[in-house]
Amino acid sequence: MKLKILLTLITLLSANSTLAHHSFSAEFDIDKPVSLSGKVTKMQWSNPHGWIYIDVENADGSMTNWALETSAANNLIRRGWKRDHLVAGTVIQVQGFQARNGSATANIRGIVLEDGTRLFSGNADELTK
Amino acid sequence: MPRVLKKYLLLNLILMAFPLAAFAQDIPRTADGTPFLQGFWQAQTQAAYNLEDHVAHHDMPAGLSVVAGGTIPYQPQALARRQNNFENRAELDPLNKCFLPGVPRIMAMPWPFQIFQTDEHVAMAFEWTQVFRIIYTAGQEHLYPGFEFWMGDSRAQWEGDTLVVTVSDLNDRTWLDAAGNFHSAAATITERYTLIDKNTIQYQATIDDPKVYTDPWTIEFPLVRQTEMKRLLEYQCQAEVEESNGDFERVDNLWYPAPIPQDNIPFDADAGAQLPLPEAISAIERHDDGTPNITGYYMSDAGGANYGLEKRENLAMFPPARGVVVDPADGVLPYQEWARNEQLERREAWRGYDDPTAHCFVAGIPRSHYVPSPFYILQPPGYVVIFHERMSYRVIPLDDRNHLPDSVRLWMGDAIGHWQGDTLVVESSNYNGKAWLNELGDVISHAQKVIETYTPVSESQIIYRATVADPIPYSRPWTIEMPFNQQQEELLEVACLEDNNDLGHLKDVRDEHRALMQQEN
Repeated sequence: MKLKILLTLITLLSANSTLAHHSFSAEFDIDKPVSLSGKVTKMQWSNPHGWIYIDVENADGSMTNWALETSAANNLIRRGWKRDHLVAGTVIQVQGFQARNGSATANIRGIVLEDGTRLFSGNADELTK
Repeated sequence: MPRVLKKYLLLNLILMAFPLAAFAQDIPRTADGTPFLQGFWQAQTQAAYNLEDHVAHHDMPAGLSVVAGGTIPYQPQALARRQNNFENRAELDPLNKCFLPGVPRIMAMPWPFQIFQTDEHVAMAFEWTQVFRIIYTAGQEHLYPGFEFWMGDSRAQWEGDTLVVTVSDLNDRTWLDAAGNFHSAAATITERYTLIDKNTIQYQATIDDPKVYTDPWTIEFPLVRQTEMKRLLEYQCQAEVEESNGDFERVDNLWYPAPIPQDNIPFDADAGAQLPLPEAISAIERHDDGTPNITGYYMSDAGGANYGLEKRENLAMFPPARGVVVDPADGVLPYQEWARNEQLERREAWRGYDDPTAHCFVAGIPRSHYVPSPFYILQPPGYVVIFHERMSYRVIPLDDRNHLPDSVRLWMGDAIGHWQGDTLVVESSNYNGKAWLNELGDVISHAQKVIETYTPVSESQIIYRATVADPIPYSRPWTIEMPFNQQQEELLEVACLEDNNDLGHLKDVRDEHRALMQQEN
C-alpha cells in the first residue's frame, strides 16, 4: 500500500463531491488529487461531514493517518451505509482531493471495500437534482 | 355526626381519591380530550447547574437536588469520572463549547422554549441556539435505529394525561448538567410530561444506564408557562462566542444597522414582476378545515442554489447552478456594482472562511430552504413551523401581529404568515444581515424583507418562491423559485459545530492570504 499522488486530474471526481456546509474549493485543491489505500482506524459518523481515518503506508515505510471527508453522515445513512461497514481494521481504497493547507486531509466521493463493494458518499445536493 | 361535617368529609374523600382528576379538568385539551401542551415554557429549577444538592460556586448558583432520593446512584468508577468532570468543567463541559446539550439537560436550561402539538407530533423549539426536538407520538417507525445523536431519538405515547417519551440512540458526549454528571451511549431516558394545571407541566425523567449507574434514577422539576411571551428570540451560542473573540468578523456595510450607501442606484421597490401564483397540477391534501395539509419531510430541488442563485456552468471551483432566479426575467440578480464585486471576491478560496455556514451558524432566509439538507413542516394550531435538519427552525405564526421592534435583529428574521387561497404567504423582516445566500457568496443585508409563497401543487410537491427586497446590495426586488418535494423520510440531526474539522483549514487558507497581502504591502 503506497501513497500515490496522481498528477493527472481525475475528472471522474467532480469538485462538488461533498459540498455541504463550506466551500469545497476554499478548503480542497482540485490540483492535488490523491489515491489512497489503507486500514480504517476510526469512522466518525458526524455531520455535516463524516470522517474516515485510515493509516496509509508511505514510500519510506512510515505511516500517515489520513482524514478523509465524506458527505454528511445523514446522507451516508440514507444511502444505506451501515455502522459495520467501516469498523477499525477494514481495508479501503479511495480517491479524492487533498486539503490546500497540505495536511493529510482529503475530500472523497466514495470508497471501495476489499471485496470490491463500492459505497458512494456523494453529496447532499445530488439528492436535489 | 352533623350533616355538614358528613358532607365535608365526603368531599375530602372524593378529593383524596381523585386529586389529579380535579386538577386535570382545568388544563387545556385538544378536541379529542388529549392534554394540549402547546405554548411557551421554561424550567423553574437550578438543575441545569447541578442535578444534586449543591452550594454556590463562582459559575453556578446554589440549589437543592431534583433527584428522587437525593443522589445519583453512580457505580464507583463513574463517580470518580464525575468528580474529574466537575473539577475540570470549564474545559470539559460540552456546553462551554456550545455543543448540543442533549436530553434531559436541554429541558432544565434557563432559556424559554416553545412546544407545538399536532395529532402525530409534539415538537419543541428552544431559544438556545435554535435546538429543536421532534417527538413522534403516533407510532411512527424509527427508520435508522442504532445511529447515535446528540439529542437522541424521541418516540412517545399518551398514558392517560401524561406524555411518556422514550429517548434512545443518545451519544456519550453530552453531560446531564454543568457539574459533570454524565451518561454513556447505553442510556435510555424516559420522560413524563404532565400538565398539573394550565400553566405548569410537571417534568420527570428517568435515566437508565447500566454502564454508569447501579439503578435507574429519576429527576423531577416544573416547567412553567411563560404567559406574557409571544415569540422566541435567538441565542446563537457559537456565533456569539466567535463575534466576541474576533473569529467571526463584523461586516459594517451589511450588518444591522448599516445605512443604504449614498452612491447606490436608487432602489426601485415597484420594479418586481407580479408573477401569477403556481396552479395545482393534481389534488392536494387538506386538513379537516379545508386548509392545505403541507405537513411532512421535504427536500428542495434547488438546482445548486447553494452554489449560486444565477445560472452558471461548472467553474473549476464550484459545481454548476441551474439558476433559480425567475425575476428579473434574464435570471441575473440586480446587484449594485459594489455588491457584485463583493460577490465575485467571495468566491476566492481565501473568502471561504467568511461564509457563516462554514462556522456552522444558521443559514438565514431563504438559504435555509436550499442548503442541501432536508426540512420538516408541521402545522400545529395557529402556526406553520419549519424544522431544518441543519438544526435551525422557523416559527411562522398565522395571525395579524406586528413585527418585532426594529432594533431586534435575528439570523432567521421575524416571520408572519397567512393563507391566501391554497398558498401560504410568509412575510419576514428584522434580519441581522450576517448570512450569505450561498457558498458562492451571493450578498444579502439586514435590510432584506422577504415575501415567500408556499403553494402546494400536488400531494407531494410545493412550489416555493421567495421575493427579496434589499435596498443595500440590490437596485430592485428579485424572486427565486424552486420545488420542494415531499418524501417518506424522517428528519435526523446535523450536529455541525461538534465535529467541524473544516473551519481550521479554511482559516489557514485565509490567514495565508492575509500574510501574503501584508508582505506585498
